[in-house]
Amino acid sequence: MILTAIIVLGLMGFIFAGLLGYAAGYFKIEEDPRIAQALALLPGTNCGACGSAGCRNFAERLIKGEVPVTGCVSGGPDVAAALAKFMGVEALQGLCKMTAAVHCGASESQRRKKANYSGVRTCAAADLVDSGGLRCGYGCLGYGDCFLVCPFDAIRMKDGLPVIDHNKCTACGKCVAACPRQIISLIPCDLGVLVACSSHDTGANTRKNCPVGCIACKICEREAPNVFKVVDNLAVMDYSKTDIDCSAAIEKCPTKCIVINKS
Amino acid sequence: MELFGIFFAAFLINNILLIRFIALCSFFGVSTKIDTSIGMSLAVIFVMTISSAVSWMIYNFLLTPFHLEFLRTATFILTIAALVQLEELYMKKMVPGLYRAMGIYLPLITTNCAILAVAFLAIDYRYSFVQAMVYSLGVSFGYSLAIVLFAYIRERMALAPIPKWFQGYPIAFITAALMSLAFLGFTGMFGL
Repeated sequence: MILTAIIVLGLMGFIFAGLLGYAAGYFKIEEDPRIAQALALLPGTNCGACGSAGCRNFAERLIKGEVPVTGCVSGGPDVAAALAKFMGVEALQGLCKMTAAVHCGASESQRRKKANYSGVRTCAAADLVDSGGLRCGYGCLGYGDCFLVCPFDAIRMKDGLPVIDHNKCTACGKCVAACPRQIISLIPCDLGVLVACSSHDTGANTRKNCPVGCIACKICEREAPNVFKVVDNLAVMDYSKTDIDCSAAIEKCPTKCIVINKS
Repeated sequence: MELFGIFFAAFLINNILLIRFIALCSFFGVSTKIDTSIGMSLAVIFVMTISSAVSWMIYNFLLTPFHLEFLRTATFILTIAALVQLEELYMKKMVPGLYRAMGIYLPLITTNCAILAVAFLAIDYRYSFVQAMVYSLGVSFGYSLAIVLFAYIRERMALAPIPKWFQGYPIAFITAALMSLAFLGFTGMFGL
């Protein structure tokens, strides 16, 4: 009895082992060894910001030449340089790390309300129900959808506003997509200034709704004409102009909605 | 009609997850998103059918003639593990689309207790080969039904204002318990 048991189980083991060994050879897939090497250089966070389905997919497409070496958003210039060296191409100059920025400056206490919102406590839900009770139809709702979606722990909520840690932010763009009001955008990391308002209401209406909103007074346009431009009742900053001093515009802004971008 | 009875008994009345409480680990582990639960369901249907067929044959044509029925646990584990490996290798080469759809769930299922349980139960019930096949199909469809329904509920619960002390697994277990109660209502259907 014991002998047959040993023989039967042993034979089964050998048969399966042989079968698997044979199958491993028969069904072998030749894979480009460069894919694994490129994958090792990538951050491995699978954030998807590059548009590929994860880091592995990015590495496959990189080898095929479908994506550029600078395509990895969350890796930034370091990974781009490493990939450029690996692929034997020149690293692109002037590549700048991006970071998320919040274009609203109204903290919880500054937001004027027209009703109390008591529904599901997410920004996506609150935005559907008449601006979540806020007078401003453009600003931050403060329920932290961006905070919840951030895979890098780079966002924390302070006084109902997201604060972005530039050292942790990899510009993967998940918060940009998560915000139902589109008040988060990606701007160059070395930029010190941003417009902390997204309201396209007229100046008078913005004044009624929010103490720190852009009232389209065009003072910034006068102080720094090449940098700021008021479009559709909102100051828009040209983020490619990093070298111009716009401290006068920050100083003169009557509602202080042009702010220093601090982490 | 008899096969129909076996299928429905396995599918609803003795639902493997909600009535028998087998494979609860994957029931709670991969049911947070509908997509992952569907991937897991497909992999379970696929692996369960094939592995119960092979283990039925091994039991009846190899273990019974040698009077080695007591070895069935060891042999079934060996068989299922080897089989899943083989399937993975085959699918990676021949049907890469399906391989990507099932993804990580295929190797994960090797350790799923439901697969082993179905191989055992089909033998305990003394089913013929066709009956065992229908039975394993019924069980795997029942598994899929329960886990996909559960995933739908959990996706809705993620948005709901749940008291802090119920958040996460406590509310999931309560929900599973209520679903189990609901499935008890199938008892006695078709006179089974």
